[in-house]
Amino acid sequence: MSTVVGSGIAATDFLGAARRNRRNTVTLVVVMIGIGAVLAYLLGAVIEAGEGDPRFNPAASGVGFGFAMIMIAISLVWTLIALKAGDRIVLRLVGAREVGVDEAPQLHNVVEEMAIAAGIPKPRVAIIETDALNAFATGMSRDRAAIAVTRGLLNTLNREELQAVVGHEMGHVLNLDVRYGTAVGVFVGLIALLADGILRLGRFGRMGRGRGNDKGGGLQLVLLILLIVAAILAPLAAKLVQMAISRQREYLADATSARLTRNPLALISALEKLGASGVPFAQANRAVQHLFIVNPFRDFSAKASALMSTHPALAERIARLRNLG
Amino acid sequence: MFGWVVLGLVVALVAYGIATYNGLVAGRNQVGNGWKQIDVQLKRRHDLIPNLVEVAKDYMGYEQETLKQVIAARNDAMNAQGPAATGAAEAQLAGALGKFFALAESYPELKANDNVRSLMEELTSTENKIAFARQHYNDSVMAQNNRIEQFPSNVVARFGGFGPHEYFEVPEAETAPVKVSLR
Repeated sequence: MSTVVGSGIAATDFLGAARRNRRNTVTLVVVMIGIGAVLAYLLGAVIEAGEGDPRFNPAASGVGFGFAMIMIAISLVWTLIALKAGDRIVLRLVGAREVGVDEAPQLHNVVEEMAIAAGIPKPRVAIIETDALNAFATGMSRDRAAIAVTRGLLNTLNREELQAVVGHEMGHVLNLDVRYGTAVGVFVGLIALLADGILRLGRFGRMGRGRGNDKGGGLQLVLLILLIVAAILAPLAAKLVQMAISRQREYLADATSARLTRNPLALISALEKLGASGVPFAQANRAVQHLFIVNPFRDFSAKASALMSTHPALAERIARLRNLG
Repeated sequence: MFGWVVLGLVVALVAYGIATYNGLVAGRNQVGNGWKQIDVQLKRRHDLIPNLVEVAKDYMGYEQETLKQVIAARNDAMNAQGPAATGAAEAQLAGALGKFFALAESYPELKANDNVRSLMEELTSTENKIAFARQHYNDSVMAQNNRIEQFPSNVVARFGGFGPHEYFEVPEAETAPVKVSLR
């Protein structure tokens, strides 16, 4: 009964797909923290090697461990702060306007239906005035979420397709993807910041404080090269992991939509309409591109499953949905 | 040494018991809340129907029988108690409504009426909400019943007096597509 499509999820059941996906995300987040910690460790080791202590062991640098711990701690604290601070900002960023029941009764109904199916409070409802076909969700918790759709989407999709798209966004709310995305974004930012600082320090030669006359100096040089290579590669790796997480969450939101509506065919036909539409989305902002149902900046067909994209290729998403249906 | 091991086991056992008990309470509340959600939507449907019938009367003079059926089914459904009886009565009502919707197709003026259009959207949405609330309720019931029946949480469930919950089932009538006769 189950057939494998592409790599990753080969699921015919919603819950299994969701479980596997959550596991993938956890692994990716751990990898992300690991990248930051390794980078911080290398920096600490280089500095400790510079002290010139003959008993220094590069594999067990106390300063390195200390730096790694500090890096992890900063990551967690920063994440907490980011989670507390604004989510309404995102709505304003893309020009979404909150609408009342009188203005968009059907949209409100559909959102409420999906909230009931998910068993969570009804999110706020907003509309983006553009002919482009897109939708997105925001909100740090299930109790304070918002779902926005474009005017073009409202005009183009039928009720069932609209429901499927809202179900996808409800999936993001239900799976706390906004929180995940913010946390991961913070990691990526931190790693980039640290790497940037290291490279700058390296350029000005401040780390070569060691006298350079004993073997500690040679060891430090090796570590320094390692550190610079890591500082160049880490932000890239972090970015790759971030995009991989984003794509996993899209698959999960698709699967959640199918679970909520029990109607994967509606989502398939909605995605096909979204893919066929060539209307550009002018107001979209790169900082929030991962929150949309389809990436507002890419054409979805060609290399959309490339490593640096926030969304999987539409064809791949549709193939997995057919698997569920 | 042995004493510590025993103490550790006892502590772990008590911790498991507390966690499971609390999980069961949360599950029972979720099921109760799910049922309330369904109730809210059913009540909304009951409130909408008289309005729609009132407006439709002016257009569908020849369909008094269908309108009467809808009202009768609505009144039955309002008086039903408990998941099983409610399920059966609501299925009747959904059947009657389906017939009404199908008939409304052949009255263009009726469908063109703004008032009717918004009532139809409300009723369609309410039908969906009922279906989704039922889906969520049944999922909650299944999760809770699993916990009550599976080992070892069933031991805690029996100790705490947790009984299995009733599913909200809908007889064939509602799930089958509405038949339209073209006499």
